Amino acid sequence: MSVQFKSPSSSERGFGERLSRSLEYLSFKARSHNAIASYELVERVLSEQRKYVMYREMFPAEWKRSRASLYRRGYYTRYSERVNELFNLVNENCFPLLEFAYDDPENEFEKFAIPPMNVDLCCEEIYFENLKVSYAAALIFCVPDEAWDFLNHRFNLSRSDFPEIVADPHPNVWDGKNGWLLGELLRLVDHSTGNPWLDSNYCQTADWYDWDRETIAGLTAEYEAANEVFEKLNVLDEMIEVDPGKMLRALIDFWNTGKHPGLVLPSPPASENHL
Amino acid sequence: MNLETPLDLLIGETERVNPAILLAEEFMRRDAADLLSADEIDRAAEVLNDGRAEIETIRRQIAAFARSSPSASSRTPIGF
Repeated sequence: MSVQFKSPSSSERGFGERLSRSLEYLSFKARSHNAIASYELVERVLSEQRKYVMYREMFPAEWKRSRASLYRRGYYTRYSERVNELFNLVNENCFPLLEFAYDDPENEFEKFAIPPMNVDLCCEEIYFENLKVSYAAALIFCVPDEAWDFLNHRFNLSRSDFPEIVADPHPNVWDGKNGWLLGELLRLVDHSTGNPWLDSNYCQTADWYDWDRETIAGLTAEYEAANEVFEKLNVLDEMIEVDPGKMLRALIDFWNTGKHPGLVLPSPPASENHL
Repeated sequence: MNLETPLDLLIGETERVNPAILLAEEFMRRDAADLLSADEIDRAAEVLNDGRAEIETIRRQIAAFARSSPSASSRTPIGF
């Protein structure tokens, strides 16, 4: 960079004015040749190219068939139609990417958050009748008055018919390695499963995930695992429906002493037993 | 202690085209369907960092220059 000088005597304009002009030039220099615009363009092209590579690797058949434009902007206007197609494929085949707060066409997906699947116990109103019955029963350890009201109304069970609940649960409750179903239920209610879909809620600041292959694969696996946890609760629900008092006593006993009952699935009704 | 003034730094700066501009040009001529290889993506990411560093450097220099206190001189800069 070269600078020319001339003597003050030959200067016809004020120094301040010329200084401003130089600063204006420097500002222009920062933008000159559209450096910033070029930078943003390279960033966008790079981001899209990475997503095209992901698309081709994750959904090769769809990539081969696709006629979506690589240039025209899609619904999410920061991305091409082809990248938009990838977002929809992830949403349909991996996890609910677009259900959270992605109804804004201006949204970016370089970092994204996931919608919580668990019940928000700290701020949301709890609608017990919409919960799985095992989940609702386990809420006696979190919101006892409401939970006992529900159990009384649903199964005619009264708190006074059951042992006192100790303040601190037995450590077995939090031990995820033993695979005990009641433990899974209590960790789910406690939002301490280790699964981001089950442990997050709307009250916390959302975790932001990078858009890359490993993260998408990891979140897909965790989403399947989260759904399996809810599937497993169906077993508990059936057992509670068969003998609610016994199951509730077993749940309180597990909380107080860490002893897990041997759980036996209820037999299907005779009409469903075709063998 | 570095006694160079913001003006000295500006004068001493190497003049070049921001590499992001050259890469943007290259990308614009490229068919997007020819996907970049991993090496090309890495190279582009490096260029992007380099381009951003240059933009930030110039911004810092402008800010430092604007903050410089005035001092008497027998010469008056008239521009570049």
